[in-house]
Amino acid sequence: MNIRLLLAACCFLAATACVRQPAFKGPNSAFLRSSYPIVELNGEGIDPAYRLDIPAGKTSAVIVYHTYRHDYNCTFAWIAEAGTVYEVTNQWNRYPLTLYRWERKNSLWASRLEPADPVDCKRQAAIKDAAAE
Amino acid sequence: MSLRRNKTLLLLLLTQAAATTETNADVLPGLSQLSDSIVRESVIAFVNTTVSPGLEGATLTVDDGSRLSDQWRSSLGFAAEYTINKHVFNGYWGLALVGGSLNDKVELVSDDGVPVQLDLTRDVVALRGSYGLSFPITEHFRLRPYLSLSVSDLRNEIRVDGLVSTTPVASPSTTVVFNTSAWMYSTTGSLDALYSRWFGENRLELSAHYNLIYTDAFSEDNPVLETTAWNDVLQLKSRYSGPTNMTSLGRKWRWMVYANHVNFLSQDKLSLGYTSLFEFGAGMEWRMNIKPFDWFGWQMLGLKAGVITSNDVEGYSVGLTAR
Repeated sequence: MNIRLLLAACCFLAATACVRQPAFKGPNSAFLRSSYPIVELNGEGIDPAYRLDIPAGKTSAVIVYHTYRHDYNCTFAWIAEAGTVYEVTNQWNRYPLTLYRWERKNSLWASRLEPADPVDCKRQAAIKDAAAE
Repeated sequence: MSLRRNKTLLLLLLTQAAATTETNADVLPGLSQLSDSIVRESVIAFVNTTVSPGLEGATLTVDDGSRLSDQWRSSLGFAAEYTINKHVFNGYWGLALVGGSLNDKVELVSDDGVPVQLDLTRDVVALRGSYGLSFPITEHFRLRPYLSLSVSDLRNEIRVDGLVSTTPVASPSTTVVFNTSAWMYSTTGSLDALYSRWFGENRLELSAHYNLIYTDAFSEDNPVLETTAWNDVLQLKSRYSGPTNMTSLGRKWRWMVYANHVNFLSQDKLSLGYTSLFEFGAGMEWRMNIKPFDWFGWQMLGLKAGVITSNDVEGYSVGLTAR
């Protein structure tokens, strides 16, 4: 019985620790997380990253969505608000990738709000090992 | 009257005792039409038409003159893809609690030509887990191979009216009732081919799903149910959806219509009275778009209603959908 209670307590603790708000670098920072590599931020090429602190304000980012036949370089442009988390993911929407405002609702789930399409997505033939960039 | 009841009870007890050690022909003497293989195939078919991945809730009625059966299935579960950083492919998982029931009334003829009414009730509760990968071939097309394991608790009640007993009783015809149970372990290899394309604000989705199922059954009270079987199922699904002006909690609703076909490829029609189903319906979907455990996306919560039809089978499907 004690083992069951312990297991239940562990499961509860694990579940409630799932959704965490990322730490911001400063009061004028926002946070960008992506399921696919971010390769360009505000016009400058960067090493592929999946999580980035970004300055609040006018922001642009290029994120690459990989398939086995094509790569899609999708450019997003938006005004990032300080203390806000943004998330880019693929949900089989009209464009390969969609930008959401990510909001922690509680310790069990987060919400994806205010979907925004990319400015454009440039398709090119898939580069071998592109995903491992 | 009391004597007859006692003798019927005696026959019932004898039958149950026989079920623990003998074949179906011994359990139901004089009913060789109902072979062991037919019973096994019927049990496996019922479990497969309830538990197979990709099947949604349904209520079915088969009426072909000599057979009248009602079957329902329902599931509470979820399946989703999640991205794996630094890989082109995504992960895929699913978990579902599935339940179903079958009441099957069949008219048979005993070995000496007497009509016999067979009344079967089967109930199953199953837990199914799936895991696999999803390979995006293009922006619009992806392949998803995955493996599912399910464990099913099956309960049967079999009632036979009109069987001429070999046991000396007051009346030549009597009623035999016996209960059996089995644990069914199924391993399913699935391959899904999924296509999605947007036309303005409207979205077309087409998919084909092939399931290859290996079932291993264990029964402590009926050796007839100790069996293994290979089966396969093909499902073809289509869905067309579009926007509405409705919103709830700031989230939009979308309408959708769908048409599905499921073909239980290796199933004998004798098992359940059907081998394929067509379903047409419509519904509404609410774009809730949350991310449980900050792990996978849960985009839609919907309500749908549809009609099911095929040769000798009619039915309907009403329920919640989540994806």
